[in-house]
Amino acid sequence: MFIQQLVNGLTLGGVYALIAVGYTMVYGIIELINFAHGEIYMLGAFLAFSFVTMFNVPFPLAILLSISCCALFGVILEFIAYRPLRKAPRLAALITAIGASLFLQNIALMIWGGRLKTYPKGTIPEIFKSALFYINDLKIAFCQYYLQFNGISITGDVRITLLRGDVSVSLLQYNILIITIFLMFCLHILITQTKIGTAMRACAQDKTTASLMGINVNRVISFTFAVGSGLGAVAGIIVGVYYNAIFPMMGYTAGVKAFAAAVLGGIGNIPGAMFGGFVLGIAESYGAGYLSSGYRDGIAYAIMILVIIFRPSGLLGRKTVVKV
Amino acid sequence: MPKRIPRYTISFFSKNQPVFYGLLLLVVFFIPFYSFLGDFHERFMYISIMSMLYIVLALGLNIIPGFTGLLDLGFVGFYAIGAYTAGLLTLKCAALGPPWDILSNYWVIIPLAALNGALWGILLGAPTLRLTGDYFAIVTFGFSELVVLVIVNEMWLTRGPMGLPGIASPGIDLTFLYPITRFFFENPIVYSFKGRVPFFYLILFMMIVTIFIMNRLEDSRLGRAWFAIRDDEIAAECSGINIMRYKVIAFAISASFGAIGGSFFARWFGFISPVSFKFWESILILCMVVLGGMGSIPGVILGATVLVSLSEILRQVLEPWPDLVQARYALFGIILILMMRFKPAGLIPLSRVKRVMSTKDETILQTMNESFFSVSTDRKKLSKDR
Repeated sequence: MFIQQLVNGLTLGGVYALIAVGYTMVYGIIELINFAHGEIYMLGAFLAFSFVTMFNVPFPLAILLSISCCALFGVILEFIAYRPLRKAPRLAALITAIGASLFLQNIALMIWGGRLKTYPKGTIPEIFKSALFYINDLKIAFCQYYLQFNGISITGDVRITLLRGDVSVSLLQYNILIITIFLMFCLHILITQTKIGTAMRACAQDKTTASLMGINVNRVISFTFAVGSGLGAVAGIIVGVYYNAIFPMMGYTAGVKAFAAAVLGGIGNIPGAMFGGFVLGIAESYGAGYLSSGYRDGIAYAIMILVIIFRPSGLLGRKTVVKV
Repeated sequence: MPKRIPRYTISFFSKNQPVFYGLLLLVVFFIPFYSFLGDFHERFMYISIMSMLYIVLALGLNIIPGFTGLLDLGFVGFYAIGAYTAGLLTLKCAALGPPWDILSNYWVIIPLAALNGALWGILLGAPTLRLTGDYFAIVTFGFSELVVLVIVNEMWLTRGPMGLPGIASPGIDLTFLYPITRFFFENPIVYSFKGRVPFFYLILFMMIVTIFIMNRLEDSRLGRAWFAIRDDEIAAECSGINIMRYKVIAFAISASFGAIGGSFFARWFGFISPVSFKFWESILILCMVVLGGMGSIPGVILGATVLVSLSEILRQVLEPWPDLVQARYALFGIILILMMRFKPAGLIPLSRVKRVMSTKDETILQTMNESFFSVSTDRKKLSKDR
């Protein structure tokens, strides 16, 4: 149970981390909570689903198409809704973001309807679904386990005496974790090693000075939205496959939880968002497992409220002093 | 003597306020007698009651974004608290018998609901109001979601998603005045609300009281302090305003109006369930405030009336397509975006709000954003210093 919840939590946390990175990147550059980010994640799931079921696009291609569409949506959203308000009061931008979120969510409801969508059998390659390994009752000192990978079974011994209960890790969960960590790594390289990443960091510090140094600030902001939205779309596709349930309201709770994750790690701080995502995912998983599954969402909200009240700069953020 | 800036940018509203409210009252008061509407009359009554309920709610919310300049995304939490306070008191206390059954009387419930709302407003506001604008917004959102989660999960108290059915209508029971009234009437005066007309006048009365209180608040010491905080928090603090105290008071008052609205909703509908208190309800109320003009009382009245009517008419028109009925909220999203883009101070703007919301002046913007975002701007300053 304990290990199983950890595995589930890590999977969930990876998804939150992917979304949270989008929030935190946008916040770092234009200081705006992009409420519509959760909706982009939802659109990512829906688009991949539609490409697969309606246009019979092979799954890997559908993923790529969905990610690029979402990146484009992010850029368009920024261009239409946020760019004209960049010099307006913050309250106006925040309200616009909420309006955009409401709009996108209901557009999805209009297009795809309110019913739960599931991938039909056979549309997702089985490799994404099969169990990677399954460890049976760990309290037995020498227990048999089998590793099932594409139908090949390997048997062997495992020596763990401390824990009891069954643990099953599906290949999908394993893949999610690998994909998440890989994307995080890529993002880290992008931000620290490349020219555009340097420009992003420069804009996050000071847009005016960055533009004086010859950086096209508008383009950097568009790029940030594209990357953030693309990552959000990946998260959406993953969740769509993992739970095999896609619905227009999925973006709203996931969006807020991911925001909680971003806050937990210190908003504007990219490694913090990844860390926060995993912490939140694990906390939610344990909370749902040991306390009450009804309060599953409540755990994330409660953590968020407590962190905001007691450590508004986040777990990894620096403590800030209000200066006049 | 410097020339006074008119309160609203539309001079009709700053000069003829009594005329405006008088006309409004005159038109609204006789709505139950508009028999020329024919079949539509029932529907029209419903829309009017809804509009007035939402005017009360929107005026309550208006205190936070309008007067103090913070964003409250969790207003529906207080609405739910009010509704469940009323529903539970009505259902549970009526069964207890005297002396507790007095608590199931609606006239006792109104102040209790308001107090309960204010209590939660203070409990939430006291630790969170020192936060910056965006964090505050997200905390209020989390709070309202938690309220709904508690309602859904605490089955023993609230029956969860099944909701509370059979909440009795309010009534007027003057039996205790029988020694006096018996000189005029043979029987004790007992009147219980039936149909839409009594509820119409009840909510009309509530609306008038709310508008009156809001108008008085706006010019009171409290209101002036709120506007000072809205315009420039640091300057306000330097002028001796205890910012925390005034913000918490604002939050408590706003919450209690939400709770009063909720209590009316519970007793009017007779059935409440968590479905009525979704997050989007908060956004709908926010949209009313934004459409009419943040801080502007006639604006909020206009915004609530327009949006409730629009929402109900769309619901009627889109009836054959159930998915579209829900999706009509997309329109409110567009309204929010367009208003912020083209008329950020609303349809009937307050001059002082318009000045800051549509300014191009860098220094005004900076002070405003600092009040709203004080910690985050300072974080930037810090990193610059470093």
